[in-house]
Amino acid sequence: MTSTSTIVMPGDRIAAIEELAKSKRVILGPGLRRQDETVVASKAGPLRHKEPSTFWVDNYQRRYIPARGDLVLGIVRSKAGDLYRVDIGAADTASISYLAFESATKKNRPDLNPGDLIYARVLNASADIEPELVCVNSVGKRGKLGLLAEGFFFKCSLNLGRMLLRENCPVLAALTRELPYEIAIGVNGRIWLKAHSLRETIALANAIVALEQAGYTEIDKICDNLGDFLQA
Amino acid sequence: MFMNSNLFEPGKSKPERNFVQLAVKQNQRFDGRRSNECRDVELAFGEDWGTVAVSLGDTKVLTHVSCDLGAPTTSRPNEGKLQLNVNLGGVAFLDEVQTTHEQRSLTLNSLLERTFRSSRCVDLESLCVAAEQHVWCIRVDINVLNHDGNLYDASTIATLAALMHFRRPDVTFADDELRIYTEKEREFIPLLFLHYPVSVTYCIYKSSNQPIVDPTLLEENAADSVIVLSFNSYQELCTLNAGGTAPTNVRTIMQCARNAANRAKALVDFIRKALSLDEERRLQGSRLIQGLAALIGETPYKLSFSKLMGQQKLELQASLNDKIEVDNKSISKPEVEEIQAMVEPSKPETDTAMDTSSWLPPDEDSQELPMPAEASTSKAGKGKPNHSKSKANKKKLAKRQNHSDSEEEAKQVI
Repeated sequence: MTSTSTIVMPGDRIAAIEELAKSKRVILGPGLRRQDETVVASKAGPLRHKEPSTFWVDNYQRRYIPARGDLVLGIVRSKAGDLYRVDIGAADTASISYLAFESATKKNRPDLNPGDLIYARVLNASADIEPELVCVNSVGKRGKLGLLAEGFFFKCSLNLGRMLLRENCPVLAALTRELPYEIAIGVNGRIWLKAHSLRETIALANAIVALEQAGYTEIDKICDNLGDFLQA
Repeated sequence: MFMNSNLFEPGKSKPERNFVQLAVKQNQRFDGRRSNECRDVELAFGEDWGTVAVSLGDTKVLTHVSCDLGAPTTSRPNEGKLQLNVNLGGVAFLDEVQTTHEQRSLTLNSLLERTFRSSRCVDLESLCVAAEQHVWCIRVDINVLNHDGNLYDASTIATLAALMHFRRPDVTFADDELRIYTEKEREFIPLLFLHYPVSVTYCIYKSSNQPIVDPTLLEENAADSVIVLSFNSYQELCTLNAGGTAPTNVRTIMQCARNAANRAKALVDFIRKALSLDEERRLQGSRLIQGLAALIGETPYKLSFSKLMGQQKLELQASLNDKIEVDNKSISKPEVEEIQAMVEPSKPETDTAMDTSSWLPPDEDSQELPMPAEASTSKAGKGKPNHSKSKANKKKLAKRQNHSDSEEEAKQVI
């Protein structure tokens, strides 16, 4: 992943990717669009590149657009038949079946109530139908998914969620050096936290929110003195 | 309940609610404030008269006052009109559910109506040009730019500051002809005030008996009840808005009222000071007026409460001391007795004439919520004259409550 930050605007033609696409396969992420033989940006922000040939635009956004396979935090909104309606911060509410939990049967239903927070994976997402979530993996085990009972939960930008989730993100490692905690990060810009005490949880939440406006390069610097945020 | 609530707002999910309840119980707040600590208030004046932007942390309100000549109502032929308009449209994340949105703007509008119109803070009779024919209609547009809790205080501060900042053109009426003078011909005239009301908001939780002042959106949404008290600079109660489900006793409300009265006084002093600074700047020349550009960034033209009142922590007691020093008043000690003496002369000036320091409990310590028994012993400890006075206090207190039930400031369930 390169740290060169070319800022692209919607409608910009990106010739570099077109050149690369002539020789090998190129993967276009969010914010980039292919129009016949040209690659055009559809969002504003720094252009990111991951080796060997993945490109995307890292724009600032708070509204989540569901994508298959994403891990999201959702709040149960209501029960509807054999479904729960879950708010995941997208334009539409998502649905999750009663049977999409570990060892759930028609008799043995999961005990979820409106207002509960769940960690789930997006099973399918399409522009025209409401997204569907699951709380089990392909072999029917819950893994780390499911109900998050205690702890604190807050919302942030999608960038911050993505940034914390990127490989070897220095933030979480830096925080781990300070104190032990549990964290669940959804790519829909929601973070759940739990530390030993309430004070520590608040401090952690503030430390993470403080990173909201920081770029990729600043993050590394800030992480050195994250301890200062925790003191505050 | 969750069906009708907007989950995109903070404080609506169960983990958030539970956590806030727990945090309040342990006397912790997310921004590190204490339960009786307010956020910094910042004022920015626009280039026009009567344009004020107020920010309370991340809550931002822009208020604009305008006026035109119109016909008075038949019931009050010799009074001008004051119209308040609230617009919540600027906050994108609030409008997901129509009912809560409307309810929110209605609550805010009614609070402002009661604080500014029903309490008759602006002298409307002075806005009359010719009885039954021409009066000034003052219109206040309150635009909410961002909502991070405590819209009530932000809007009342913004409205009061805008009304105080506003100037109307001079007008004469002779031979059935109205003549409006421009600013070059005759200087503009500020509005006349009978008193200066400002609100202070408290949140009460079931898990704790300590109310917290100036809530953020997270705290406000997770609160069991929200109490809004409007006080004027003479520390008289103008509006009380109490609702919600938390069990609240008289003690708690009285404690809130006592702190709110001091806070309101400090706020009005702050607004006055900010206005005088703005006026100085205007006299120096128009190029110094930044207008609302001051809202963006950390310009020195933004007038902040903590800076202007010469203090870092917005502790109520400290602000009281501080303000007294600055104003060069004769009060040397922050004793209630002294303040009472100060308040007494101002009594005849106002028609409502409610001397708060007589009905507010005299103990100044706001940290603890004193039990009735404790309070009475502390009063008794002061000696006989005080003791008899405290009885009088209680009587007035009871009387005051009957009064508040019957009067306009009836409790409203949010």
